[in-house]
Amino acid sequence: MNFWRRKKQRAELDEEVESHLKMAAQERAARGETMEEANHAARREFGNVELVKEVARDEWGWRWLRDAADDVRYGARMLAKNPGFAIVAILSLALGIGATTAVFSVLYGVLVNPYPYANSDRMVHLVFHDNTGNRGWANLNGPQLQQFRQASCVESVAAMDEWDLTTTEGDLPENVQAIYLTSNAFVHFGVPTLLGRGLLPSDAPEGQDPESVAVLGYQFWQRHYNGDPDIVGKKIQLVRKNYTIVGVVPPRFTWGDGEVYLPLKITADPVRSYFPMIRLKPGVTRAAANAEFQSLLEQFAKQTPTHFPEHFKVTIEGLNDQFVAGIGGTLYLLLAAVALLLLIGCGNVSILLLAQATARQHELAVRSAIGAEGSRILRQLLTEALMLSFAGAIVGVVLANGLVKLIVTWLPEFSFPHEAAIRINLPVLLFSVGLALLTGIVFGASPALQSARTDVAQLMQANTRKTTAGVHGRRTHSVLIAGQISLTLLLLAGAGVAMRGFLRMMHVNLGYDPHNVMSVGIPVHDNTYTTWEARRTYFEQLLKRVSAMPEVVSAGLSTNATPPNNGWEQRFEISGKPAAEQQRARINFISPEYFSVLRIPLLQGRSWDESETVHGAKLALINQTLARQYFPNGGAIGSEIRIPELKGEPPFALAVPGSDSWFQVIGIVGDARDDGLRNPIKPSVFVPYTVLLRVWTQILVRTQVPPLTVLRAVREQIRAVDPDQQASRNIRDLDGWITTQPEWEHGHLVATLFGGFAILALALAATGLYSVISYAVSQRTGEFGIRMALGARPKDVLLIVFRSAATSVTGGVLTGVVLTITLNRVLARWIQGSALDVLVLPGVILLLLATSGLSCFIPARRASSVDPMVALRYE
Amino acid sequence: MTEKRERYQNRIELLQGTLDLLILQTLQWGPQHGYGISLAIRNRSGEILQVDTGSLYPALHRLEKQKWIKAEWRISENKQRARYYRLTATGKKQLTKERSKWSQLSDAIAGVLQPEEK
Repeated sequence: MNFWRRKKQRAELDEEVESHLKMAAQERAARGETMEEANHAARREFGNVELVKEVARDEWGWRWLRDAADDVRYGARMLAKNPGFAIVAILSLALGIGATTAVFSVLYGVLVNPYPYANSDRMVHLVFHDNTGNRGWANLNGPQLQQFRQASCVESVAAMDEWDLTTTEGDLPENVQAIYLTSNAFVHFGVPTLLGRGLLPSDAPEGQDPESVAVLGYQFWQRHYNGDPDIVGKKIQLVRKNYTIVGVVPPRFTWGDGEVYLPLKITADPVRSYFPMIRLKPGVTRAAANAEFQSLLEQFAKQTPTHFPEHFKVTIEGLNDQFVAGIGGTLYLLLAAVALLLLIGCGNVSILLLAQATARQHELAVRSAIGAEGSRILRQLLTEALMLSFAGAIVGVVLANGLVKLIVTWLPEFSFPHEAAIRINLPVLLFSVGLALLTGIVFGASPALQSARTDVAQLMQANTRKTTAGVHGRRTHSVLIAGQISLTLLLLAGAGVAMRGFLRMMHVNLGYDPHNVMSVGIPVHDNTYTTWEARRTYFEQLLKRVSAMPEVVSAGLSTNATPPNNGWEQRFEISGKPAAEQQRARINFISPEYFSVLRIPLLQGRSWDESETVHGAKLALINQTLARQYFPNGGAIGSEIRIPELKGEPPFALAVPGSDSWFQVIGIVGDARDDGLRNPIKPSVFVPYTVLLRVWTQILVRTQVPPLTVLRAVREQIRAVDPDQQASRNIRDLDGWITTQPEWEHGHLVATLFGGFAILALALAATGLYSVISYAVSQRTGEFGIRMALGARPKDVLLIVFRSAATSVTGGVLTGVVLTITLNRVLARWIQGSALDVLVLPGVILLLLATSGLSCFIPARRASSVDPMVALRYE
Repeated sequence: MTEKRERYQNRIELLQGTLDLLILQTLQWGPQHGYGISLAIRNRSGEILQVDTGSLYPALHRLEKQKWIKAEWRISENKQRARYYRLTATGKKQLTKERSKWSQLSDAIAGVLQPEEK
C-alpha cells in the first residue's frame, strides 16, 4: 500500500469528521444554542471521535500493517531508550548470524552449486582402484576414445591434455598453463563464452593439424591483457608459435585452471593418451555405468597394459565427489560450530530480554490496563525481538562478507572446485533472512510469552519498591546460563582439539631443513631436447649456472623429490628375495647435491659422483625406513633392487638403457617426510636424475637470504641457457610447500576458524553471565543494603552473589563435559585427536571457570561495595 | 478500548445489511455527505432510526471500497466543505438487489408474524 496515498486518506477522514461536527454544530446554533453549547452537543452526539475514525479506518483493510508499523515505531523508541541493551543484543546476534552466513555461503558455493557447466550432475571422471588401495585417473588413447564414445550409457565425451607453455614476446618468458581440448569440448561444457567464440569442430579437422587458435581463460585475460575488450582477433605468441585469439571464457569457467584453451589433435598413436571428460545419459545409474566401463576398460588394458594397473576396478566419480569427501565434513562441522555460536548469541539476547521484560512489567501492565489485548502485547514484544534479529542480520551479513573472503583464502587450494562462486548471493541472503526470523522467534518467544501472561491487577497493586527479586525469573536465567556455558564448553573443547592437532603437525620432525630453500620448476617444451644426451646436457648446464650464482649456497636437481610429499610410488624387487605385490617405495630422481641442499644426512655408505651421474649409473640410495623395513638385519648396502615399471616413454621420458634392471644400493640416508606431514614416512629410493629424464625438472636452490628475493636472477640464468625457457608459475620456498600441503591448510582452516568461533562464544557467554549477575545484583540492592545494615560484611555479600551463579555455572560445565564426551567420537571423524586429551578438557574447563569467575566478580564487587544507606533508599 | 470497539462492531454487524440498504436508498435522491445521510435517515424514519456515527462512517468507507458509492469534496448549502457520496452504476444495481432481498425478508417475517387463518 502506497504510503502517501494512505497519509492522504487519513487527512481526508480527519476533515470529513471535522466537517460533520461543524455542520451539526451550525444547525444547533441556527436553532438558537450558543456556539459553545452547540459544539459541545455535536461532539457528544457524535461519540468518540478517534474511535469512529479508527473503526472507519479498519474498513480500509491493512490493519495488521498499521499495527505493525505502530509496533515498529514503538519498538524503535524502546531500543533507542536503551542503547546499551540494543547494542549488546544486536552484536550478539550479528556475530552468530554473520558467522553462520559466512560458513553457509562457503558450503553453498562448494557443495551445493559449484559448477557452471550444463548438466554438471551427469558429468563424471573415470577412476580406477588397484588392489593395494591406490587410485588413479584413467587416460585413454585416440582409438580407445573413439570406442568409448559408442558406450551405451555415454551421452558425450570430450578429451583434454595439458601442458605448460610460455609466452615468447615479453621481457622474461612467462609460464602459461595450456589446456588442449577436443573441438567438441565447448558444446560438451555448454557454457557460452564471454567474448568471441569457443573452439569449433572446424578448428581441429580430423587427421589434420589443428588451427592456431586460442581461447583465453578469464584470469589470464585480466592479468595479461588487463581485460582488453577488443582482444578477439589479436595474436598471442606461445613458444614461438602465433595463435589467433578467438574468444574469452567467463570467470567461472576454470576447467583445469587453464590460462589458454587450445584445440587438441587426437592422434592414432597408441602411446599418447588423453584425459576423458564424460557426460552420462539421463537416468543412467552409477552401477550400470561402472559395469559397462569396467568391461570396456579391461578390454583397453589388454591393448595398452602400461596405461593400467595389473588388476583394477573402475568407478565413476561425479565432478564434486572428491571435494565433498575431502572438505564436506569439515564444512558441516564448521556449520555446526557456528550454529552453536548462534545459539549462544540467542541465549544472550533471551537473557537480556528477560531482564528487560521484568523491568518493563509496569509499562506493560499499564498498556494492558488501558485495553491492550494479550495477543497485542505478545505481538509488540515479538516485533521488538524481530527488529533486533533483523538489525543483527544486517550487521551479520556485513561481517559475513568479510569473513567469507578470509575463509576463501584459507581454504586448502585444491580442496574445492575453482569454478565455485563463493560469495553472499541470493540463496545465502534468503538463508540469513530465514535465520533472522528463526532466531527472533527462538529468543523472543519465551520472554514475550512470560510478559504477556502477567496478571495486571496483581502487578498494579504490588509495591514498586521490592527488596528482593522473584524466584521465577531467576530460574529461567539459570537454565539459559547453564545452556550457554555447556555449549561454549563444547565449542572450546572442539577448538582445543583442532588447535592441538595443528600445533602437533607444525612441530613435526621434518627430517630436512626447509628454510632458505626454494624449488624452481622447469617445464621443458614439446619437441625440444628430444634425445637423452641433449636433455641431460641441458639440465646439467642449468644446474651449473644456478650453482655458480654468488647468492646461491648450493643447488641440486630434483625431478620429483621436493618434500614433504615426494616420489613416484612404485613396486620394487630386492635381488634374491621373492617379489611381493605390496612391496612399494617412493622413487626419487635427483642429483647428489639434493641431500646437502636439504641437509638430509648420509648415514652409511656413499653417494654417486658426477661422472656416475653423467652416465646414468644404476646406483641407488635408500632411506632409513626402507632399510629398517626390508633389511632389519643390515646388509642393505651392496644389495640390489629393481623397479620393473622404470621405463622410458619417448619423447616425454627418456631413460638410460636398462633402466628397469638392477640398481646397486650404495648408501642409506636419514628419514625425511615424504608422504605429507601427518602420515608415517614411507620407504624411499633415490636414483640419479639422469636415469629417467622427463619433460619437467626442478632446481632446488639454497640461499643465504630469503630465496624468493633471488628468483629473478635465477630466471635470468635459466634464460641465458635457453631464451625461450620459462620457470613455472607459483614458485614457492619449501616453507611454502609445507603450508600448501592439504593437511596443513586443512588443519590451519579448522584450527583458526574453530578457535575464533570458540573465543567469540566465550565472550558471548561471559557477557550473558555478566548481564544476569548485574541484573540480579541491581534487583537485590535493597536486600544487600538490609543485610549490610544488619552486619553483613562485603565478603559475605560477595559470597552470596558467587553462590547464586555457582549452580548454573557448575551445571553448565557438567552438561558440557557430558556433551563433549558424547560427541567426541563424531568430532574425531574430522579432527585428528581427542577431546579427552589430558590437556584439552581440563584446560577448557579451567578457562571457562576463570572467565565465569571474572564475569561474576565485577558486579559482585559492585554489590559488596555499596553504602548500606544508599542501597536502602535505592529504588 | 477493546470492549468499546467490540460493541461498535457488534452493532455494525447487526445493522449491516439494513444500514447499507438505507444508505444506498438515501443516496438515490442525490449526492449527500455523512451528516446529511444520518439526518435523512432519522427524518424519514420519523426519528426512529438513529444512525450511530461509529456504524455510519465504517459503512460509508466499506461501500466506497466496494465501488457502490463514490466520494468527492463539495461545498454544502451553508458554505461548508464536505465529503459528498454519490451512487455509482453498480451501486444502483446493488440497491435493486438489496431492496428485493429486503422485501422478501419483510414478507417472510410478516408471514411468520401473521395470525394463522383458519
